[in-house]
Amino acid sequence: MRILIVEDDVEAAGAMARGLAEAGIETVHAADGVLGLAAAQAGGFHVLVVDRMMPNMDGLTLVETLRREGDQTPVLFLSALGEIDDRVVGLKAGGDDYLVKPYAFAELSARIEALARRRETGAVQTTIRVGDLEMDLIGRMVHRQGQEIDLQPREFQLLEYLMRHAGQSVTRTMLLEKVWEYHFDPQTNVIDVHISRLRAKIDRGFDHPMLQTVRGAGYRLEA
Amino acid sequence: MAITLSRVFRTTPFRLTLLFLTVFAAAASIFLGYIYVATAGEVTSRADQAITQEIQSLTGIYRQGGVKALNRSMIERATGDRPFLYLLRDKTGQKITGTLEASPIEGFIGSPASVNFKVTDTDPNGAEVRHSARGEQVRLEGGEMLFVGADVSEAESFVLKILRAIWGAAALVILLGLAGGILISRNVNETMAGLNRVVIAVRGGDIASRAKLRGVNDEFDELAEGLNDMLDRLERSMGGLRHVGDAIAHDLRSPLSRLRSRLELALIEAEAGKGDAEAALAQALEDADGVLATFNAVLAITRLQSAVEAPDQVRFDPGDLAAGVAELYEPLCEDKAIEFKLEATPALTVRGNREFIAQALANILDNAVKYTPQGGAVRLRVRRRASGEVEFSVTDTGPGVPEPDRPRVVQRFVRLENSRSQPGAGLGLSLVAAVAEAHGGRLELDEGPGTLNGSGPGLRVALVLPRLA
Repeated sequence: MRILIVEDDVEAAGAMARGLAEAGIETVHAADGVLGLAAAQAGGFHVLVVDRMMPNMDGLTLVETLRREGDQTPVLFLSALGEIDDRVVGLKAGGDDYLVKPYAFAELSARIEALARRRETGAVQTTIRVGDLEMDLIGRMVHRQGQEIDLQPREFQLLEYLMRHAGQSVTRTMLLEKVWEYHFDPQTNVIDVHISRLRAKIDRGFDHPMLQTVRGAGYRLEA
Repeated sequence: MAITLSRVFRTTPFRLTLLFLTVFAAAASIFLGYIYVATAGEVTSRADQAITQEIQSLTGIYRQGGVKALNRSMIERATGDRPFLYLLRDKTGQKITGTLEASPIEGFIGSPASVNFKVTDTDPNGAEVRHSARGEQVRLEGGEMLFVGADVSEAESFVLKILRAIWGAAALVILLGLAGGILISRNVNETMAGLNRVVIAVRGGDIASRAKLRGVNDEFDELAEGLNDMLDRLERSMGGLRHVGDAIAHDLRSPLSRLRSRLELALIEAEAGKGDAEAALAQALEDADGVLATFNAVLAITRLQSAVEAPDQVRFDPGDLAAGVAELYEPLCEDKAIEFKLEATPALTVRGNREFIAQALANILDNAVKYTPQGGAVRLRVRRRASGEVEFSVTDTGPGVPEPDRPRVVQRFVRLENSRSQPGAGLGLSLVAAVAEAHGGRLELDEGPGTLNGSGPGLRVALVLPRLA
């Protein structure tokens, strides 16, 4: 995977590149908005990571320009502005995700992977299959090895998200944002409890566990 | 503050009074002027009518009895109770008889003509007075000239009285108006001076200065109340900022120095080739995350406190929101063997920022679950109070908070002794209070339901949102 980092803080960009290299992500760095726009227009990136505040051209303008030109490359805004309205402004400008500085590398790489994957699955799906786990999106039913698994509505949404990102790490914050649509950090790790319930339903009684805990990052659903 | 007269003249109420007075005086002048013209005209025309009648009746007598009869009649009439003024002259202009010596009308052309003139009389004290009179002259058939006049001084003095009354009234109106204007203006001025004093004091740095209410609930009281409320908020927010400065310095300094020494120690040990560098780094990372979490929470609280009101407010069903947050925490309760119950009155409406209220609710529930022992109970309730306010209340069966400590636990970074073992920075309830305040609501802390399974007395935390306007 190849991504473009548009960030005026060279040191931060360097650290990001090193961190992402550990996750196997290749990065190209542009040091301001104008250079970033030129690089993005040249194309060839799976995801753009764009800082909000930069000299010459700010991140919002960069992304708005790209979207006007019809470029649909997924964009992750990275910003020190973390208020709810800042996030909304970023998403309205054409951003696909928003991460507030400072961030954990695990969080950043998980989100980049999620964005890159989202792009690949274009067509409307009616069923999702991960290994022997099968989800019927229309009948709202889940089967593993042909055996029906009874899920609460929220558990269904949680599993759907995990299945759509099967093989990738997803963080607790991502789950809270994408499944529950909350953007705050609960003090207790409430997500862990929900995951362990879901795990009890889909993994208990089967020979190999699918829902893995990724240390320091979050969870991953493996086939 | 002394209010000088020149200052009074510059005030808005006085200018308004003056303007009103001018308009009123103009209207009054037109009205009174009309009365004057109408009265004066009436007096003249009545006199003229009486004179014309008298001439007609005298002309009648002349036709029947000639100059002699006229003469006699005139003498009779001159001594009667209707004292007309008479003058009869012959063809040559010589006076035949009459009470006047000469006609006020000379160069008589022929037709009857009216004239104003003066007659000299003596008053009872013997002094000479001149009266206004009006008269008319006709030429009789025999060529004699008959002049009849009437003393209109009484009627005229009546008109003059009216005129004087009009002038008096006008003067009185203007005086009263001016006095009223000055009075109103002084009154308003004193009230405004009170408000101005506060503004000047605050500008001079005395943020604690407040306007006095007069207790009459007028627009000035409203203004004073608004000013005081604004100053309260300002003072709180300034106090809050100072407190945050201190609190951040205090609360971030210790974890930051801990982080620093951990890193330094790891470096020393790594150089010496001993110690677990990886574990030290992992611990340092955790410390850094803790510092960041505290920092973010303080930032969120201060942003809310400095905002006039919470941003992005929408109308929504508080029961739905509570159900969402409850759903997030329910499994946690189950894991801890805490009985969880949600009681929400359906179809209520509140206005607010969903995200902030959800976070506040999550913070309250977080605390409740954290401090409620196994086998306890947590209840989340959403209902409308009789006052129209909507409350989200969370009741737990934990140790509760002793009454004297309740106002304190809402403050930033305040953690009670027995909570030190629990994770958290002591910012949860501060955020709830900030959210409540940014919505014009409040946070209430009360005793819980009492002891249950050997714990208690519990705590009831309520986030109260104001009724919809």
